[in-house]
Amino acid sequence: MSAIRDFIGLVGDGVKANQTLWLLVFGFALFPIFSYFADLPFWNDVAMRIMLLGMAAMGLNLVLGYGGMVSFGHAAFIGIGAYCVGISQFYGISNGWAHLGFSIVTCGLAGLVIGYLALRTSGIYFIMITLAFAQMLFFLFVSLEAYGGDDGMSVDRGEFGFIDLYDPLRLYFLIWCALALVSLALMFIVRSRFGVTLRAIKSNESRIEAMGLSPLRFKMVGYVISAVICGIAGTLFASWQEYVSPDIMHWTRSGELMIIIILGGLATLAGPLLGAIVFLLLEESLPMLLGAVAPAYAENWMIIFGPLLIMVVLFGRGGLTGIIDRLSGTRGNADHKAGPR
Amino acid sequence: MTMLDLHNIETGYGAGKVLFGVSLSVTAGACVSLMGRNGMGKTTTVRAIMGQLPLTSGRISRFGDDQDDRSSFEIARAGIGLVPEGRQIFSNLTVRENLQTFYRMPAGQTGAAWHLDRVLALFPRLSERLEHAGNHLSGGEQQMLAIGRALMTNPKLLILDEATQGLAPIIRQQIWDCLNQLKQDGQSILIIDKNVDAIAKLADHIYILDKGRVVWHGDSDALLATPDLKSRYLGV
Repeated sequence: MSAIRDFIGLVGDGVKANQTLWLLVFGFALFPIFSYFADLPFWNDVAMRIMLLGMAAMGLNLVLGYGGMVSFGHAAFIGIGAYCVGISQFYGISNGWAHLGFSIVTCGLAGLVIGYLALRTSGIYFIMITLAFAQMLFFLFVSLEAYGGDDGMSVDRGEFGFIDLYDPLRLYFLIWCALALVSLALMFIVRSRFGVTLRAIKSNESRIEAMGLSPLRFKMVGYVISAVICGIAGTLFASWQEYVSPDIMHWTRSGELMIIIILGGLATLAGPLLGAIVFLLLEESLPMLLGAVAPAYAENWMIIFGPLLIMVVLFGRGGLTGIIDRLSGTRGNADHKAGPR
Repeated sequence: MTMLDLHNIETGYGAGKVLFGVSLSVTAGACVSLMGRNGMGKTTTVRAIMGQLPLTSGRISRFGDDQDDRSSFEIARAGIGLVPEGRQIFSNLTVRENLQTFYRMPAGQTGAAWHLDRVLALFPRLSERLEHAGNHLSGGEQQMLAIGRALMTNPKLLILDEATQGLAPIIRQQIWDCLNQLKQDGQSILIIDKNVDAIAKLADHIYILDKGRVVWHGDSDALLATPDLKSRYLGV
C-alpha cells in the first residue's frame, strides 16, 4: 500500500492547507449577489479584472514562486491568448471554445520554444532572455498592420454556445469557472511529486540531477503549464475588454504580475489572487482617496502605493499570505518556514 | 554481477589532474569502502562515477554496461543512490516531501522494496518530524533523511560520501547499525569514510586512495593486520 501511495504521490498539503484560496474563490462566486444588493454593478467589472489578473499571476507563480524561475516575460502569453481571439475573429471564427483551444495550443507551443531556449540559462540571464522574447512579440504585434498594429483591434466577445457573454453575469461566471478550474488544477499540480520537485529544483538543482531526474524537463513542463494558464487568462481578457492591442503584452504588465505575486506571497496558491485583489483595489481606490485629501495629487497615487509595497516586502515575510498565516497561527508551507534565502 | 567497475580512470578539474588511474569494483551485495585522507580524490571519484566529471581516460562500467555518453541524471536513474557529502537535503521541503517525491519503483533487484513506511521504520526519528522543514532538523536527522531519500529511489548501488562526518558518537553508531542492516539485506554499498574500526567491521573490501592513486586494497582482516597503513595513509 505504502509503495502505491508513494508512486501516486500526493505529497503536499491538501484543501485544508489552502483554505485562504478557496475562501477567496467562493467569495468571488458570491460577489455578484453583494454587488446587486449594494447596487454597485461597476465593481463586478473590477472583480472580473481581478480574477483575470489573479489567474495569470497564479500561472506565473508556478514558475516564479514554486520553481524559482524569474520570468520577466509572461505578459507575452497573456498577449498571445488575447490575440487568439482577435486574429480568429479576423478570419471569421467567432466560437469562444475555439478561441480557447487556439490559445492553449499556441501558448503551449510558444512556452515550449521560449522555455527550451531560455531555461538553459538562469539568474539575470534568464530574466533578460524572457524579457527579450516578450519584447520581440510585443513589437511583432505592433508591426502587424493587418491586425491593427499599434492601435489594436476591437473584438466581439466569443460565442460560447448557450453562454451569451453579452450578459455581464454569464461573462462573470465564465471567468469565475476558469479561475476555479485553474485553482483546482494548480492545487493538484503543486501537491504532486512534479510540483514538489519544482520546489526542490529551486533549492538545489544539481541535487535533483543526482536523484536521477532531469531539472530541465521539469522546468520546461512547469513553464509550459504557466504559459497556458496565462494564455487562458489573456483569451478571457480579450472577451472581457472587447479590444486587443499590443498594450496587453507591454513589459510593465509582466512587472505587474510579479508585484502581485510578491505582494500576495511567493509559492502559495492564495498569494497571487490575494495580491491581485489588493493591487487592483488600491489602484482603484488610492486615486479617489488621494483626490479627496489633496485633489492636486490624485494622479500621483503611486507615491503612496510604492512605499506600501516596499513595507509589505520588507516587513511581511511571505507577503500577505505570510501575514495571514502568522495572524491565524496556521502554518504556511515549508518554503516559508525555511525563511528567506 | 558487477555493480560498478572503474578501470584506470583519470580525471580532474581544468588543468589540475586529481585521479591518476583509479581502478575499483563493487560486486552485487558487497560493501566496498574507499578510504584516504582529505584531498586524495575520494569525492572526485564519486563525482566521476555519477557522471558529473568527464573522464580524461579510462572507463567506468555501471551495472555491466559502459555507455559513456549518458548524462548525469540518466546515470543516477540507472540505479545509483547517492548520499552526498554535506547531506544536501532540500531545505524548503518537509521531511515527507524530501522522501516521497523521489520514490522510484524497484527495478527487479533482490530484497524487499523501499517505500516511505519502511524508511520510517529504519529511522523512527524521522516519523516524528515528517512535517518539519528540512532545515529545521538536527545534523543527525538530516543525515538519516539523506540516506532515506537515497533509499526511496530503490537504488541497486548505494554510495555514501562521509555519511558519519560531524555527528555525535551516539548518532554515528545509529548510522553504522543502519548500514549494517542494509548490508545484511543484500544492498550493494560503496562507502567513503575515515573511521577505520567501523569500516573494518562493515566493509568486505577496502581501497585506500593516496594522491589520486589506489595505494592499497584488501579485505578488512588485511586492513587491521597491516599496522603501518593507518599512520601512512589514513592518520591525520
